[in-house]
Amino acid sequence: MKALMKKEIRLSASVLTYIFIVAGAMTLIPGYPVLCGAFFVTLGIFYSFQNAREANDIVYTILLPIAKRDVVKGKFIFSIMIEMAGFLVMAVLTILRMTVFSEAAPYRENALMNANPFFLGMALIIFGLFNLVFIAGFFKTAYKFTPFVSYIIATFLTIGIAETAHHIPNLSPVNAFGTEHLGLQLILLSAGAAIYAILTIIGYKTSCRRFEIIDL
Amino acid sequence: MNIITLENVCKNYPAFSLKNVSFSLEKGKITGFIGRNGAGKTTTIKAMLNLIHLDGGEISYFGLPLLKNENEIKQRIGYSTGTVSWYPRRTLHDIIEVTKGFYRNWNDEECRRYMELFGLDENKKPMELSEGMKVKCNLLIALSHGSEVLILDEPTSGLDPFSRDELLEVFRQLKENGVTILFSTHITSDLERCADNILYISHGEIRADAAKSEFMERYGKPDETLEEIFLRMERENKK
Repeated sequence: MKALMKKEIRLSASVLTYIFIVAGAMTLIPGYPVLCGAFFVTLGIFYSFQNAREANDIVYTILLPIAKRDVVKGKFIFSIMIEMAGFLVMAVLTILRMTVFSEAAPYRENALMNANPFFLGMALIIFGLFNLVFIAGFFKTAYKFTPFVSYIIATFLTIGIAETAHHIPNLSPVNAFGTEHLGLQLILLSAGAAIYAILTIIGYKTSCRRFEIIDL
Repeated sequence: MNIITLENVCKNYPAFSLKNVSFSLEKGKITGFIGRNGAGKTTTIKAMLNLIHLDGGEISYFGLPLLKNENEIKQRIGYSTGTVSWYPRRTLHDIIEVTKGFYRNWNDEECRRYMELFGLDENKKPMELSEGMKVKCNLLIALSHGSEVLILDEPTSGLDPFSRDELLEVFRQLKENGVTILFSTHITSDLERCADNILYISHGEIRADAAKSEFMERYGKPDETLEEIFLRMERENKK
C-alpha cells in the first residue's frame, strides 16, 4: 500500500489537487455559499483523475504486481486523504467562526449558511457524493468523465438545499451561531460523517465490482 | 518446460473474435508473434496480462493459473509496448523510483546498466523522448526487476537499425540467461535474426506455431524470406 500511495502522490496526482485544498478556506468568506469550498476540494481531486487518464496511469498500475481492486483502493485512499485535508481546513476555520468571530456582523448578517458543525456535516456529504457518484461512475469505464456532470448536479442541489434550509420554518437551529444548539449541531455533524462513510463504502465496493469486469 | 500456456482462449468483440487461441512457450526461447494489423496479436497479449476478460479458456504461467496468482506472476514477468508512453510529464527518475517499490527483485545495478546501454537520461521526461527512446524506457523497467518472462508488443517499432541491433543482442543475452521472450512485430527480419519459434495469428486464430526452421520449411518455398512467407500466407488467407 505504501508503494501504491507513493505512486498516487508522485506520479498520478495533479499539483492542482493540492492547491485546491486551500478552497476549504472559503469557509471564511462572508456572504458566500461556503459549502462550495467542499466542491472545489473535489474539483481538485478530479484534476488528478484527469491527469491520471492522460498519463495512462490506470493501465500502468494494473500491470504492476497488485490486484485490480488495489488500483481502486489507491484512488479512494488518495481521494479520502485530500478530502480530509480539505475538511481539516474547513473545521479549523469553522471553529474560528464559532468562537473568535461568532458575533462578527458580516457573518451574522448572512442569508446563506453559517459555518458550524452542520456545515461540516454537509461538507462530508458532498465528499461522499464525489466518492459515490464520480469515482464509482468513473470506474465503469476507467476513462469517461461524464459521471462528473452527474456529481455536479447532485452536489449543487445539495448545496442549494443546505445553504437555504434554515429559512424553512422550524429548521433555523441548523444555522446556529457560536455554541447555540451545540448538541443538535454535533448530532448533525455525526450524521454527516456516517453518511460520508456509507457513501464512500458503497462507492468503493461499486467501483471494485465495475472495474473488475471492464476490458482495458 | 512450458513457462506460459494458453488453452482455448476466446474473446468476443462485436467486430472481432479471438478464437480458441492455444499455444505454449518454452523456457529460454524467443518467440516471434506475427500477424497483420487487427489479427489479434495485441488482444492476445492483453489477455496474457489480464487486461481483458476472457469469454473462455485459461492462461497459466509457471504452471499457475493467471487469475488466481496474478500478483505473484506479475512479479516474475515484464511487459513493454512500443506505442504507449506512461506519465509523459514525469521524469524517468520519478517513474523508476516509484515503480521499483512494487517489485521485490528490483535491481538498481541492472537498471543503471540498461540505462547506460540504452543511452537514457533519467532526468528526461517521456514526452521529451523519441518513439524509439520510449520503447527503451519501457524495456528498462521490464528488465530491471529480474523478469523471467518478457512480453513485448512491437518493441522494435520506431527504433533505428543500430538500436534494433543492440536490442536484439540484449534479447539474445537474456535468452542465454533463461529468460522467455514473446514479442510481436511487423519487422520479420528481426525474427530471422533472433527468434527460435514463430507464432502466426490471422483473423483471431493461430494459424502456425512452430520452431523457426520448421516454420520456414513447412510454409516457405526455397529461398523465401520470413517476410515473403508471411505475405504469401496472408494473401492465401484472404482468398
